[in-house]
Amino acid sequence: MKNIEELKMMREKVRQDLRLRSGQHRVRIVVGMGSCGIAAGAREVMNEFVTLVENSKKEDIVVTASGCFGFCAQEPMIHIYVEDQRPVTYRNVDIEAARLIFNEHVLNNKIVEQYLFSKGKK
Amino acid sequence: MKDLADHLFDIIENSVNAGADEVIVKIAYTESYFFCFISDNGKGISGQEVLDPFVTSRTTRRVGLGLPLLKRTAEDTGGYLKIKRIDESGGTALQFKMYLTHIDAKPVGDLARTFSDIFFAWPEVTVRLFVIRDGIERLILDFQKLRDEIEQGLKNYTNIRKHIHEVSHKEFKDINII
Ligand SMILES: Nc1ncnc2c1ncn2[C@@H]1O[C@H](COP(=O)(O)OP(=O)(O)OP(=O)(O)O)[C@@H](O)[C@H]1O
Ligand SMILES: [Mg+2]
Repeated sequence: MKNIEELKMMREKVRQDLRLRSGQHRVRIVVGMGSCGIAAGAREVMNEFVTLVENSKKEDIVVTASGCFGFCAQEPMIHIYVEDQRPVTYRNVDIEAARLIFNEHVLNNKIVEQYLFSKGKK
Repeated sequence: MKDLADHLFDIIENSVNAGADEVIVKIAYTESYFFCFISDNGKGISGQEVLDPFVTSRTTRRVGLGLPLLKRTAEDTGGYLKIKRIDESGGTALQFKMYLTHIDAKPVGDLARTFSDIFFAWPEVTVRLFVIRDGIERLILDFQKLRDEIEQGLKNYTNIRKHIHEVSHKEFKDINII
């Protein structure tokens, strides 16, 4: 049996965790999930990113979903937001691309030109 | 959409898009059919017209695809899709049925994966999944309960995906093979 203090601390940690999931994170990976994205394999891509984040043991990276980006032929598409940097959009992201983008861009801050769609404003 | 699991995820994406934070899913199936009922507390759909691919509330593309595609998938097997607003204040309910033994039936796919994907894609949305068998409804997944368990330290985000898979694989083992 845990004492009340421990339980409170645990609860606070989880609250923070949940808050972080929706709020601040150093890196946010957003996968487009409109019908086109889903049909083109966006769920597999999202799962791959979740696994990559888990394996990297990094706690400052979060994976979420958004609606469709509107460029159906280029789905699956993702946005990557790194703190203090311009957001970057990638297109035609498959599992292999996801791994490359994770290793290069997310972990090493290098843009992967091959799948680049656009760079946004700060 | 390659399978039913994709359709299900896509249709719940509509609920999230409509601002819902509670989605109820009820599934009944046998070897020969798959029936699914979904209701949400979003802003509510307006009219039947949405089964027409030219109706969409999106601003990035003029044509909505999700519902017409699902309708097609269901009707191709002799099944149906119905959708309606719950009342003036909002909410949407839809149900579809498809015949799995029909030659044009799509595979069911990995339903377990659909539910874990939803949990990760929209962690603030509460999904409750019921399975109906022999006229009895059983609650098999409750995202609110899962979040509470995370909060109490009984589970964490790393093993939650595994947990959802175990629970739903057990439940859908008869049809996941298809
Ligand atoms: N659960 C819901 N609640 C409220 N409105 C809905 C719901 N589901 C669908 N709609 C309405 O019906 C329209 C058509 O939905 P549909 O899934 O066919 O296309 P879409 O979501 O607009 O685009 P796509 O699915 O191609 O990404 C939506 O734009 C929305 O206005
Ligand atoms: Mg849709």
